[in-house]
Amino acid sequence: MDIQTHTSGAATVVVLSGKLDTVTAPAFEKRIREVIGTGAVRLVLDLSAIEYISSAGLRGLLVMSKLLKEKQGKACLVGVKGNVRSVFEMSGFLTFFRAEETVEAAVAALG
Amino acid sequence: MIRVEQLRKSFGTLEVLKGITVEIRKGEVVSIIGPSGCGKSTFLRCLNLLEQPTAGSIHVDGVDILDRRAEVARLRQRMNMVFQSFNLFSHLSVVANLTLGPIRLKGMEPKAAREKAIELLRLVGLAEKADSYPDELSGGQKQRVAIARCLAMEPEVILFDEPTSALDPTMVREVLSVIRRLAKEGMTMVIVTHEMDFARDVSSRVLYFDQGVIHEEGTPDQIFDHPQRDRTRAFIHRIRSLTRRFASPDFDLYALNAEVEAFCEKQILSRPVRDNLLLLIEESLQLCRPFLAVGGLEMTLSHSETTDRTELVWTAPGVRLNPLDGEDLEDALSLNLVRNLCASADHEWVDGVNRLKLVLKTGSES
Repeated sequence: MDIQTHTSGAATVVVLSGKLDTVTAPAFEKRIREVIGTGAVRLVLDLSAIEYISSAGLRGLLVMSKLLKEKQGKACLVGVKGNVRSVFEMSGFLTFFRAEETVEAAVAALG
Repeated sequence: MIRVEQLRKSFGTLEVLKGITVEIRKGEVVSIIGPSGCGKSTFLRCLNLLEQPTAGSIHVDGVDILDRRAEVARLRQRMNMVFQSFNLFSHLSVVANLTLGPIRLKGMEPKAAREKAIELLRLVGLAEKADSYPDELSGGQKQRVAIARCLAMEPEVILFDEPTSALDPTMVREVLSVIRRLAKEGMTMVIVTHEMDFARDVSSRVLYFDQGVIHEEGTPDQIFDHPQRDRTRAFIHRIRSLTRRFASPDFDLYALNAEVEAFCEKQILSRPVRDNLLLLIEESLQLCRPFLAVGGLEMTLSHSETTDRTELVWTAPGVRLNPLDGEDLEDALSLNLVRNLCASADHEWVDGVNRLKLVLKTGSES
């Protein structure tokens, strides 16, 4: 899995690619802690290049959500499609996370 | 009619038949099915002494045919064989192929033998080919001539050794319809075949051979619809499987994924099925984690070509522990995904072994 970050307006965009599973979830959590640790509290998580996600990846998203909540921050997902979308639907995560079609829409949604 | 007891046959150090016991009654149509190399054809060749058995006995109407005084030529007249590769004499016309045996071995008059041959050729739909030569015939026609030649000796039993294996699919039907007709007329037949639908239709009894023994036998309904043993079921449903053992929690998930992906590719499983299977394996491994810390865990992934069913079975020895009952919040997500991905999920504990059986939903169920 590869993780890239950049800023867009007031938001920090985290672009993930590859697999978010048991093997890669710890690296994702570590990186997200670092990002939030720098003070970024409006996160756009771009999942459009994620080809596979398991519950380990979902748990990583929950950790991110909890850390943001502690800092009155929020997150918005982008590119939840295909196999990743069906995992989100099965687990009910689509009701838990806000999701938008584009990064621009997500940045705007975070205000 | 034919009673075989503890028949064994070895070629050098390789034991092909490991103790076959079976009785074939008059008028029965017995099909022998099973994987390649399981001894089906060898068994048939032993029955009419094309192979000399290493041990055991074969009695035909009470006569021990393995007795050195047994008349082999007479036996072969009573129990004639149709081969996969036809074995016609290419230098003789079709009708001469049919009359050779009756004239030479049964002392039949040539005129009567020819009349009988034409009658039999009519039966297999080839009377107009009486004066043709084998090389002028298609594979299906050659095999029908071979069946007519076999019938010319008026056998009491016909042994068919994969009679359609050398034929194009278009020619299989014409040969099978001739055999079906013989079955209807009450001919006793033993048929080694890979044609499962045919075996189901025509047989009064089916023998499933595996590893040199009769692994299971029964009526076509019993064998094809309700096979009792795992190997029979795997053969009938064309089940392919992948088994892996996990001894510690530090297994290589990506190496496992690569093997599962290769398995899916071989079974021509669609991408969504493959993705769901990879997810099911990862999530159920998460649930089965407690087993990894103690006695280890075994995974068997299987797919049936005929039913399209994909099944994942985890087995682990030890105290009773149902991973589906997990109260760990960490596992709640995995459990939810497993339940969503599966058409059924069952745990049982038998003889000190936990067995978790997960059946993946098919496309129409998801």
